[in-house]
Amino acid sequence: MKNKLMHLSNETMNIGFVKKVEALSGSSVRRCFQCGKCSAGCPMSTFMEHPPNRVVRLLQLGQGQRILAGRSIWYCASCETCTTRCPNKVDLAAIMDALRKLSWDADGPSKESYVQLANRLFIENIRTYGRQYELRLGAAFNMKSGQFLKDLMLGPKLISKGKLKMFHSKNKNIAEIEGIFKRIEEMRKKGEAL
Amino acid sequence: MSRIGVFVCHCGENISRTVDVEQVAKAAGEIPGVAFSCDYKYMCSDPGQTLLKKAVAEHKLDGVLVAACSPRMHEKTFRKAAEAAGLNPYLCEMANIREHCSWVHEDRDMATAKAKDIVKLMVERVRKGKSLAPITVPVTKRALVIGGGIAGIQAALDIADAGHRVVLVEREPSIGGHMAQLSETFPTLDCSQCIMTPKMVDVANHPNITLFTYSEIEKVDGYIGNFQVTVKHKARSVDESKCTGCGICMTKCPKKKIPNEFDQGHGMRPAIYVPFPQAVPNTPVIDRENCTMFQSGKCGVCAKVCGPGAVDYEQQDTFTVEDVGAIVVATGFKLYTIDRKPEGSPIQGYGEFGYGTIPDIIDGMTFERLASASGPTGGKILRPSDGKEPKQVVFIQCVGSRAREKGISYCSKVCCMYTAKHTMLYHHKVHDGQAYVFFMDARTPGKGYDEFWRRAVEEEEAVYIRGMVSRMYQRGDKIVVMGSDIQVGVQVEIEADLVVLATAVQPQDGADLLAQKLGISYDKYNFYSEAHAKLKPVECATAGIYLAGACQGPKDIPDTVSQASAAAAKVMTLFAKDKLERDPVVAKVNEKYCVGCFACKKVCAYGAIEEKEIRDRQGNLVKKVAYVNPGVCGGCGTCQATCPSKSIELDGYTDEQIMAMIEAL
Repeated sequence: MKNKLMHLSNETMNIGFVKKVEALSGSSVRRCFQCGKCSAGCPMSTFMEHPPNRVVRLLQLGQGQRILAGRSIWYCASCETCTTRCPNKVDLAAIMDALRKLSWDADGPSKESYVQLANRLFIENIRTYGRQYELRLGAAFNMKSGQFLKDLMLGPKLISKGKLKMFHSKNKNIAEIEGIFKRIEEMRKKGEAL
Repeated sequence: MSRIGVFVCHCGENISRTVDVEQVAKAAGEIPGVAFSCDYKYMCSDPGQTLLKKAVAEHKLDGVLVAACSPRMHEKTFRKAAEAAGLNPYLCEMANIREHCSWVHEDRDMATAKAKDIVKLMVERVRKGKSLAPITVPVTKRALVIGGGIAGIQAALDIADAGHRVVLVEREPSIGGHMAQLSETFPTLDCSQCIMTPKMVDVANHPNITLFTYSEIEKVDGYIGNFQVTVKHKARSVDESKCTGCGICMTKCPKKKIPNEFDQGHGMRPAIYVPFPQAVPNTPVIDRENCTMFQSGKCGVCAKVCGPGAVDYEQQDTFTVEDVGAIVVATGFKLYTIDRKPEGSPIQGYGEFGYGTIPDIIDGMTFERLASASGPTGGKILRPSDGKEPKQVVFIQCVGSRAREKGISYCSKVCCMYTAKHTMLYHHKVHDGQAYVFFMDARTPGKGYDEFWRRAVEEEEAVYIRGMVSRMYQRGDKIVVMGSDIQVGVQVEIEADLVVLATAVQPQDGADLLAQKLGISYDKYNFYSEAHAKLKPVECATAGIYLAGACQGPKDIPDTVSQASAAAAKVMTLFAKDKLERDPVVAKVNEKYCVGCFACKKVCAYGAIEEKEIRDRQGNLVKKVAYVNPGVCGGCGTCQATCPSKSIELDGYTDEQIMAMIEAL
């Protein structure tokens, strides 16, 4: 995907997606003139297959799917160095945020994006228990990501220090929390929320 | 015994970095006949010049040598200072210890020794120097402007408004040049014709301007203040004094399918035509190569329908000689032709772009005509092959320009801006279309220019792709453009309906031939050379000839207009005096020894040598000798070197001076 020949036309350029990113982030994408200062200062740049400036460049070409297929947006630490130093007022940290939000619904998000998996399980736990249940989160993450033994040895340590509860405690107002989730789902159906 | 003053300059650190200037000054002081020597940080500065003036008075100096930079840089400065101190300016000389010494050497000791030698021999030249008086020549206060584009028009109007007479010569049937062809102009998007045509009319109506269209420069004689220029008036086949410009000849001409040069060959015109409706003068010409009357002798329709009887098939080329004092050269540019490889030219074509074979690959000027309300499509963007509205348009910058391999290494300067403009014009006219631009750099240094380009990208939705196109080919009715986006690092493929190439700006055809007639220099691309890239950007090295516009190098309209006004100001400066002072460094003939072989006449590049008859009191011819016209002589010294009887000497460079310099070493 990374180096695949790029066909450009009104059909292949997903400008609607770019408009969504712009609306969500409140920052212009077209304004970027590719000076590279964001990538120069990014502490995570070396881990990304598309450094920050290229993420914007791909957006300018309507190639959102190329970004979402990669892991760059998940490596972003939201330190906002890029936004602070951008000479052209492009809020790259907000754009990264927007891309992460949009990746939720996008087709074919990266298989490597454990961050997204973790986020999904996190939210599911909130919905079920009204608060976080870390043991279940860890177990479910390890099962679903296929890394069964990941951080297993940390478990006893955390439990002994009282950082990890063996049993969950349910929130009293779980019905209200369910109401919040329902409302967001409805809004999303109507297109009022993302 | 002479009393010479030697002043050694540090030139900041330029000289003192490699040359021990104190030692040089000390050594100079020991040369016999040197009454004073010193060193100073900046001799050309005001305190430096004051130092020189004071020393002349205090030490009663009779000659001055400034060891500093090249005389091309500051000879005038120091001669003026010497003159102010009461010395004849030509007794002040410069020893070049910067360009000829400190800049080209690294070893301090050896450079210092060389500087001492340079000073030593120049002291001898000063010692043998003579006082000279400047030469005065009369000035004809009438200017010639060559080329009727925006540069020539602006220069002509400025000079004419100052009250001087101007002759404006244009090769084409109408003035206006390339600017008349443009649709809208950057960075304000105002209509080119709307700002251009009033100026054209001003030229035609100005009482001080004589306009010669369809005319060319045949020959140039004379020198600054006194040029005699022969102008060839090509046969128009229409009598300008009779023609009323009604245009009936054009509507009745049976041969109407000739590609119109003004529309880059995309519109049609008759054989008798004016290039465009707003032409000045509005007098048609007959294109004899395409006219049935001239080719087969049968037709004559235009002559029959012409009410005032202005059509004249018998008309011949005529010549006039114009006396002028100054010449402004404003011959403009042409565009690199992608579809043809120019014959005998080192410039290479673009085979990989399928040149000449794909009709929907056009150049920037053709796009201007398509976008122009007066163009062949009435301002609609329609592609040439099938007249359809293109929905995907690819623009490619730097075609020809910045391509050393293709023969041109310079930047054409205007393409970045006009391509940005084209994307905007396209977006305004085709709302659902998409413009792509392949570019290497966007060069937008001008007032409001970068903002204009960013507007094209940010607001007018042009997709700029940094990277070049490798190849283009036809697939069905589309053109496949294979390029790359170097920022993403991927290959890019676009199926375009129309491709517009920003082709390189080149000097006009025949620019070199005109330069040879004028005696001005030009570079390897045939752009005319200015006297100094920074400090004399308007003047030619040849006195009395000035440059305006793209004939000197690629330029946009604001720069062209600025330079044209600057050239006009230079002409006015020249015309401000009745007599002109010239440098007296000219050759003189010793008539006693001259044998009249005229070897000098053959080698003189300036045509300054005339034959002079020497007669006795009874009027009998004694002999013919050479005579150097001091107004024309350029002071190059070729005649002096050639003369077999050693009877020509160049003032300031006499044999005596040169020999003394050699002996001093």
